Amino acid sequence: MTKTDTETTHAPATFYDGQTPVSHVVSLAVSDDERLLQISGAGLGPEHYWPLDDIREHRDQALRQGAMFGCPKEGEARLTIHKPDTVAEMRAVCPNLTRSDVPSRTYRKLAFWGIGAVASVLLIVFVIIPALADRLAVLIPVEQEAALGRTVVTQMEGFFGAEQAGDLTCSSPAGDAALEKMVARLEAEVDSPYELDVRVLDVDMINAFAVPGGQVVLFRGLIGNATRPEMVAGVLAHEIGHVVNRDPTRLMLRAAGSAGIMGMLLGDFTGGTAILLVSEQLVSANYQQGAEEDADTFAHEVLAATGLPSAALGEFFRLVREKYGDVDGILSHLVSHPDLAGRAERAKEADVTASGDFTPVLSDAEWQALRGICGPEDG
Amino acid sequence: MHSLGVLMSDVSGDTMAVDYRGSPTPLLKLGLKTTFLTIITLGIYRFWARARIRRYFWSALAPGGDALEYSGTGLEKFLGFLIAVAFLAFYLGLVQLGLFFAGLSMLSEAETQAQALAQIAGQYITLVAVLPLIFYAQYRGRRYILSRTRWRGLRFGVEKAALGYVWRGMWYSLITLVTLGLLLPRQLYLLEKYKVDRTWFGTGRFEQGGRWWVLYPAAKHVVIGLLLILLPIVILTLRPEPPVWAFVVLALGAVWLPVGIVYYVVHSFRILTGLKTLNGVIRFSSMPRTGKVIGLYLMGSIAASMIASIIATLLMAVAGGVLAAMPGGAVPLDFEAMLSGELPLDQATGFITLAGIALFYLVFIVLFSALALVFIRQPLLAHYAMETRILNTSGLRNITQRDRDEMVEAEGFADALDVGAGI
Repeated sequence: MTKTDTETTHAPATFYDGQTPVSHVVSLAVSDDERLLQISGAGLGPEHYWPLDDIREHRDQALRQGAMFGCPKEGEARLTIHKPDTVAEMRAVCPNLTRSDVPSRTYRKLAFWGIGAVASVLLIVFVIIPALADRLAVLIPVEQEAALGRTVVTQMEGFFGAEQAGDLTCSSPAGDAALEKMVARLEAEVDSPYELDVRVLDVDMINAFAVPGGQVVLFRGLIGNATRPEMVAGVLAHEIGHVVNRDPTRLMLRAAGSAGIMGMLLGDFTGGTAILLVSEQLVSANYQQGAEEDADTFAHEVLAATGLPSAALGEFFRLVREKYGDVDGILSHLVSHPDLAGRAERAKEADVTASGDFTPVLSDAEWQALRGICGPEDG
Repeated sequence: MHSLGVLMSDVSGDTMAVDYRGSPTPLLKLGLKTTFLTIITLGIYRFWARARIRRYFWSALAPGGDALEYSGTGLEKFLGFLIAVAFLAFYLGLVQLGLFFAGLSMLSEAETQAQALAQIAGQYITLVAVLPLIFYAQYRGRRYILSRTRWRGLRFGVEKAALGYVWRGMWYSLITLVTLGLLLPRQLYLLEKYKVDRTWFGTGRFEQGGRWWVLYPAAKHVVIGLLLILLPIVILTLRPEPPVWAFVVLALGAVWLPVGIVYYVVHSFRILTGLKTLNGVIRFSSMPRTGKVIGLYLMGSIAASMIASIIATLLMAVAGGVLAAMPGGAVPLDFEAMLSGELPLDQATGFITLAGIALFYLVFIVLFSALALVFIRQPLLAHYAMETRILNTSGLRNITQRDRDEMVEAEGFADALDVGAGI
């Protein structure tokens, strides 16, 4: 390749004009002013002139020798050079072979849709789905919720090893009576759309939860580890708060609505599963933390109205904290029940009973009966 | 194949072979680079990675010595993805919530078993809500890829007809479901015909010939495999003391079925390719072989996973050695806390073990993804290319350029729903 029009070197290059699928063997030359590449060949018709500044080389090509060039201003016309030294010459005379030709409006579009996509996901996950789930939860008939709740309890019993529904449900005449007395005292201060159905499961974990339809499940481990009946009453008041707020149903609706949205963002990229789990946990924990705070406030109010110490609920939180540890700082966004110490503190602050000055929720005998509801070995 | 016999007799004019020009080293480099960038950008680079690897594979396929060209970019794929996410977040959120609510409201006071079944059915309702989107995304994704594909400077193109594809896809799927899969080959043929008949190269139009039953011969080994599995199962459930041969047949079926599925994939490609025409005269023939495909796949998988795990293990051993040689240097905080007793010993070692596993996983994934391109994708593509011929190529002379198809949303829906093309 020389710098004059007249002295063209015959280079083994092929050219497609971007209009017909006919291959042309062409020779190349650089114009006198060093600004144009002249492409000429028999059968090509008039010569093509590509400004050297506008020529681009195609990246990531499999060609072992040679390279493919185009000129965006000339449409789809393509020049393939097979000879390595001609390719080297091309690379020497064309200054902008790797320049990107993205118009600036593309970046504006990208910014617009980037913000749009993020806003859309945040809006749907944190505003629309929660609001809609809250509205819809109220519309589901109570009987359907109860049916759903029974399924959940049955599945839970199966998970803990029950062969038949009800296998793990504890019952003893005195224990049931004690539990009923406790529930009745709390229920008197509550305006619930559901009939409360509280049961104890023979599971050695410090835990309790509400399922859809007014059912509350206490684990034996919770009663066994509580040092006084008011702690159990506090937990019960908290769970009744979930029941009254229809939290189990609302949370199920929210989870169903937001399922898969985070997965969509991450796609199939390698290692994405871990991030996916974290981000979905983030969403569900965010949903639950609000519900937990509301249930705590509810429990404080009900306990105050029944003349029971909410400080006992705080004692329970501290018990859980000792057993399972606490989570605060940045990780607290990942768990559904963070900051047990803070919750214990708030429960203590909300206590309206002077210490010791309240009617016990259960007598000593009744308390022992409740502790023995799953059988004598835990009494 | 008998279809080829028919085809060969029609041949007039010249024939073109498809060269494959890829080589291992540049592809390995490209694979390592793009996978690594994808991981450290938390997946955002995956659009650019996909575009670059496509560009490589396209440029390696050279019918008649002229390479294909892929002109799609990562940026436009990313933009399309953002557009799709903005819409899909709303669609998925509202549809899923609505369906779950409807499911809950209809949940009747039935037996617990029935309720559990109802909940399982509810999960499939979500699939039905997403299914039309999947068909839509597949058609649009194919349209995008072909609109960015050139050969000899001419664009490929696909007509805007995604909605017709969606309702046909839904309808054929329903028929397939009702007939327990017996009409699946019909569904696959008809959907392929719908797509191919709307595909262009320049001003030349593709056409899928044949009738709805042409894919049934390709499915014969799938049927045999299924029978070999179902027959022993029936015997095992009916007879209290099943004969030994029932287990032998079952084991045979367990091998026959996957091989039969590959046979179907390979032979349906042969049949469909042999029945395609371009601009009425240009024909194709492709003769990939089942045995070769299975061999390449197995050998490639073994090679890629072995090399990746050996290198990852060696790296781990070196890293572990360095860590052991200078405690307090590599992870000073943890060791100090551990020695002073603030951090329990098991927690500290647990943390290091976890970090080690994560590192091993990451190294393995980067290596394996790159090696899988070199040892699995490329040999398979090369085999298909080398077994493919383009016939009556003199007909190419009558084809000229077609207009550009902008497609701003690119294949964003396919990326968001994860139903994109393999490469």
